[in-house]
Amino acid sequence: MNRDRSLEVPIRHLLCPQWSFVLLAMATVLFAATPLLYAQSVNPLEGDARAIRGGAGLFRAQCATCHGANAKGISSIEAPDLTQIWSQRSLSAAAVFEIIRHGIPGSIMPPHSLTDTENWMLVAYLQSIAQAGVVGLPAGDAAAGRLAFVENCSTCHRAHGVGESLGPNLSNVTSQLSLERLVASVRDPDALVGRGYKLVQLRVSEGEEITGLIKSEDAFSLQLQDDTGRLRSVNKSELQTVERLPGSLMPAFVRTQLSNQRLFDIFNFLQNGAQQ
Amino acid sequence: MSKFLEQLLPALLAGVTLVSPLSAQDGPSYADLLKGFSNPDRWLTYSGDYSGKRHSPLQQITPENVSKLRPVWTFQTGTTTRGRGFETTPLADDGVLYVTGSNNNAWAIDAHTGRTFWRYRRNLPNDLTYGASAPVNRGFGMLGNKLFMVTLDAHLLAFDRRNGDILWDIELADYRVGYAATLAPLVLDGKVIVGISGGEYRTRGFIDAYNPLNGEQLWRFNTFPGPGEPGSETWPDDPEVLAAGGGGTWMNGSFDPELNLIFWGVGNPNPDYYGDARPGDNLYSNSLVALDADTGKLRWHYQFTPHDLNDWDSNHMPVLAEVNWQGRLRQVVMVGNRNGFFYVLDRVTGELLLGEPFTATSWARELDADGRPIVLNDGSQGCVPDPWGSTNFMPPTFVPEQDLFILTARETCATYVPEKPADAPGQSNFGGTVLIDAEQGRGALRALDIHTGNLVWEFSYPSPTFGGVLSTASGLVFAGDHEGNFMAFNADDGSHLWHYQTGSRIWGAAAMTFMLENRQLVLIPSGTTLTAFALPE
Repeated sequence: MNRDRSLEVPIRHLLCPQWSFVLLAMATVLFAATPLLYAQSVNPLEGDARAIRGGAGLFRAQCATCHGANAKGISSIEAPDLTQIWSQRSLSAAAVFEIIRHGIPGSIMPPHSLTDTENWMLVAYLQSIAQAGVVGLPAGDAAAGRLAFVENCSTCHRAHGVGESLGPNLSNVTSQLSLERLVASVRDPDALVGRGYKLVQLRVSEGEEITGLIKSEDAFSLQLQDDTGRLRSVNKSELQTVERLPGSLMPAFVRTQLSNQRLFDIFNFLQNGAQQ
Repeated sequence: MSKFLEQLLPALLAGVTLVSPLSAQDGPSYADLLKGFSNPDRWLTYSGDYSGKRHSPLQQITPENVSKLRPVWTFQTGTTTRGRGFETTPLADDGVLYVTGSNNNAWAIDAHTGRTFWRYRRNLPNDLTYGASAPVNRGFGMLGNKLFMVTLDAHLLAFDRRNGDILWDIELADYRVGYAATLAPLVLDGKVIVGISGGEYRTRGFIDAYNPLNGEQLWRFNTFPGPGEPGSETWPDDPEVLAAGGGGTWMNGSFDPELNLIFWGVGNPNPDYYGDARPGDNLYSNSLVALDADTGKLRWHYQFTPHDLNDWDSNHMPVLAEVNWQGRLRQVVMVGNRNGFFYVLDRVTGELLLGEPFTATSWARELDADGRPIVLNDGSQGCVPDPWGSTNFMPPTFVPEQDLFILTARETCATYVPEKPADAPGQSNFGGTVLIDAEQGRGALRALDIHTGNLVWEFSYPSPTFGGVLSTASGLVFAGDHEGNFMAFNADDGSHLWHYQTGSRIWGAAAMTFMLENRQLVLIPSGTTLTAFALPE
């Protein structure tokens, strides 16, 4: 399977000639380490800017057609979001290396005959675009955060055994979203509504109205979680109107309702809650 | 020794069967294949007959009773392919179904019960290059007691249909370069016709004919001309570019026995999105070619998408029909193309009779006097159909009673960003990337008036769908969608009559139907299952 070519080949093809000295040095180091390169669990090129650029080129040529130009995946062909693989699936660099090399047997993910260096470049690129979660969370009081979570969030969200299940479970959210994104999702939840949380308002024949989140949809039916949390299915033929609403079911929390410090308290609870 | 045994012994010693040459056990002859749908107990070729109409004469299931349709059995492949995976059309003969699946599995299945007679699984090489993009297969070809199947490592196999034994196995091309094969072989008189996948690799596409007795090659048509040959002026004067030009032929063709012509679609030039290295029209990429069935010589061609920059392979089922065209009976070939246009051509001469858009594509809205598209946006300036196109290889159907061409239409929005590729054998390369606006994707089953290209009716799907279509003479249309529904519609007006949730998207496959002891069965593959439907007994 591993049809190794010389290490100089990908470097010449993928990176600019003016870096040749640095790259030659890098290639020499890598070449010396080749017997170990394939087996190791840490990416030797992680964080290397030139390797990331080379990996980005490989990604555009080999991966983007299925996983999307932004690596966020294309759901209609079941190609997963690659920015989430590190946090959601806890994959190691070596595991990602192996998947790229051998594919996923029986799936549409094919094997790739990249050299070890090219493969690590690709892994370096994927590491560089990982949604790494919160880095440098400001200090806060996790115990106070738990109380604030119960008061403000738990009607809809669950975290560390507390709360309800209308919105997403937030127990691991600090390892999935950046601090900036987390704050934005509280201050302006309408800006980005995830799949499975799109809002719809239905008028049923008998005059009944249903507001809920679209969990699934086909030509004939809608599968919803209504605003009481109940899972239910409706036939489109029995509906008088279907109004798809642009925003989120979640209200916006402005600073006067929830100060930044209280927010950081909550995030500290979310991050450390399991230790409470 | 009894008289019976005296008669039996020489036959046993000679190793011959005791049945007459014309019995069912000998399997269908070329004469049977020519008759197409005339025997209702059989479905013998990918489309049911050579014309590619996928229009069955069966009438037991009707618009009035289809709401009673129910599953009779479900066959589980036991394979694990996600998403794409089960694109086959089963062949039916003598109560047995011959079915191919993902990763070159294949089965003979009892049509009464869904139980297996035999199973085959190919031992594929570990360094498969996936020129096919997905580990799929679209079905067997059949002649006599032989079945023919192509493989992901670009071989053509002949099976003994009674036990699944391999009778011969030949290489079509080197899979390590990027060649692969997925289509259902087209079986003619003394010929098995196949095409090849791998247009995203440094490959050169072809259509081949082989002797069904021993796998000997009879002819090859290269989809790109050699240096100095007609058509080479549409390429740069560089043998390297031509030799790696792509042009796969990975979807089935159709056959006109009277003209002795086969009609076959050709795929994209390589690299897909980056055209600067291959200035010119790049014949015969994205074209329909009409070839002499005996020699493989090109009779005529029509190019749908000159100098393709969007991966809009023209690998579609060409649909043949005899129609009254403006007061004159004409032999036509029809194609619903990935570029968003529906075409009608005279199949004797290749003359273009009609070319009209069937989606909201902004790539082009009309053809010029020479039949070339007037391109408004090549995809670099925002929204044109995505690389999977306005439709794809999922078979359409033609309803001759109403002159309706019914196909799955995809409305999508994608921007193309070409980039010079670094070529390497055995590695795919699209030559750039595509930005797809997932929020704007949707689909529809659309019925077109073949005389105008106008929309007669449509049924909307919430996502861009990949299911194929079957029609029957009782006025029914069967289609599958991306959400897993297998559905029946009234061919007159597109009204929805019945559906069944199969549990996985129906991708690339279209239904087939046949009579099993006076009961009409309709079969659809979906995910990793094949389900048979019938009316209650």
